[in-house]
Amino acid sequence: MFIDIDCAQIKKFGQNAYGDYFVSKRTDNQERLIAVLSDGLGSGIKANILSCMTANMMMRFIEEDIPIQKAAQTIMDSLPVCQVRQISYATFSAIDCQNDGSVWVVEEGNPSFLWMRGHEALEPEYQEYTSPKFSDRHLKIYQFKAEVGDRLIFCSDGVTQAGIGTANYPLGFKREGFLEYVKECLNKQPNISSTELSSKVIQKALSVEPGKHAGDDISCAVLYFRNPRKAIVFTGPPYNKIKDREYCLAFNFFNGKKAICGGTTANMISRELKKEIVNLPQTQSGDLPPVAAMEGVELVTEGILTLTRATEYLEREELNHQDAAGQLVDFFLSTDIIEFMVGAMLNQAHYDPSLPIEIEVRRTIIKKMKKLLEEKYFKQVTIHYI
Amino acid sequence: MKKIQVKVCQGTTCYVMGGSGSKSILDTLTEKYGDKIEIVSVRCFEICHKQDSFSKAPYVYVDDELISSASLEKVINVIESKLKNE
Repeated sequence: MFIDIDCAQIKKFGQNAYGDYFVSKRTDNQERLIAVLSDGLGSGIKANILSCMTANMMMRFIEEDIPIQKAAQTIMDSLPVCQVRQISYATFSAIDCQNDGSVWVVEEGNPSFLWMRGHEALEPEYQEYTSPKFSDRHLKIYQFKAEVGDRLIFCSDGVTQAGIGTANYPLGFKREGFLEYVKECLNKQPNISSTELSSKVIQKALSVEPGKHAGDDISCAVLYFRNPRKAIVFTGPPYNKIKDREYCLAFNFFNGKKAICGGTTANMISRELKKEIVNLPQTQSGDLPPVAAMEGVELVTEGILTLTRATEYLEREELNHQDAAGQLVDFFLSTDIIEFMVGAMLNQAHYDPSLPIEIEVRRTIIKKMKKLLEEKYFKQVTIHYI
Repeated sequence: MKKIQVKVCQGTTCYVMGGSGSKSILDTLTEKYGDKIEIVSVRCFEICHKQDSFSKAPYVYVDDELISSASLEKVINVIESKLKNE
């Protein structure tokens, strides 16, 4: 199973820093995913520091398999004390799950998460522990097995308390309102991505706030267990020309979406697989070479310039461009697992000092792209040098 | 009358070296010659790989004639001479 994860947030109105903090990490073997959503006491910078420290410490403790009660106590003891309230505090929800669907969740103070199967909510069992130092602080620990299609939806109290005191929501949006809205979204779009669902939830919470001003930091994190959507990108011809056919066949038999980035690479694949490259010059836009088409391949683009530009778009989160690089970004974002086949053959002409611009080395740009796709867009990326 | 085929390379080197494939040049040629020519974009001619035997990108073919360092002016000159000879 692949776990599609994302979090959307809105700052409390008038603040310049987020008081909620979300962090997630996949282990190097990609089998385990850990995520923490923390809500710091108060709002603004102070809350940001508390939640950031809590989330990051919790993440480390879970990674190192430190017992959770001990971890929670250490965190409470380490946080700076608020001068106004004379306490140190940040609530949290921590999630530790495996690709096989084993889930472990611990909550302290945050609204209880939703476990959705289709558009039905399931009620997981939990054990509760009270902090020996603070009798009002309780840890809820859940352990269960998620199935393909399940979603876990976490929120900060900015969602459940949205609209509090208004005529429509005298007690706030509440967990019931949150659940009803999630059900409504899932009924309309059963395959909705985590990015879209989390964003819809926070926008809904904001819409019930008086004057549409967030009265608190609002966060929603979604984990969606689904079959992974796989993609492969072939860029650069293999170092050893004898291997051309072998790699082209591997590309051809790949079970998932395909893209080719590079003129020489496209020619090689066209030659080996006897598939014609159909250029689509009318699609040219901006200052990048246009995309082309090939049977069975979703996207064929020029190589380095397009990859470099796509990396810039990913870095700057400019996700609405229509040129070849924008289309490559769309290709990446509509998948979960991306495999790069990176040929080591260099085109010497790219390193001619008389070229008016500097052309990046393919390996460097792919490495940068991998890092961005993993850290910023939560994709699983592998690179094969060929 | 058979159309003159203008093939432009859309490869990285050609693109960087003056964009014979760039939209403004293609538009200019289309505007100037209309249906006397047919413009074909090619993913890459792979001529720059053998740069020692040729002078410089960008490369354009006008029918079978290869033009190196292909500026708009050079391409127009070759098209003009072909039109005259017909």
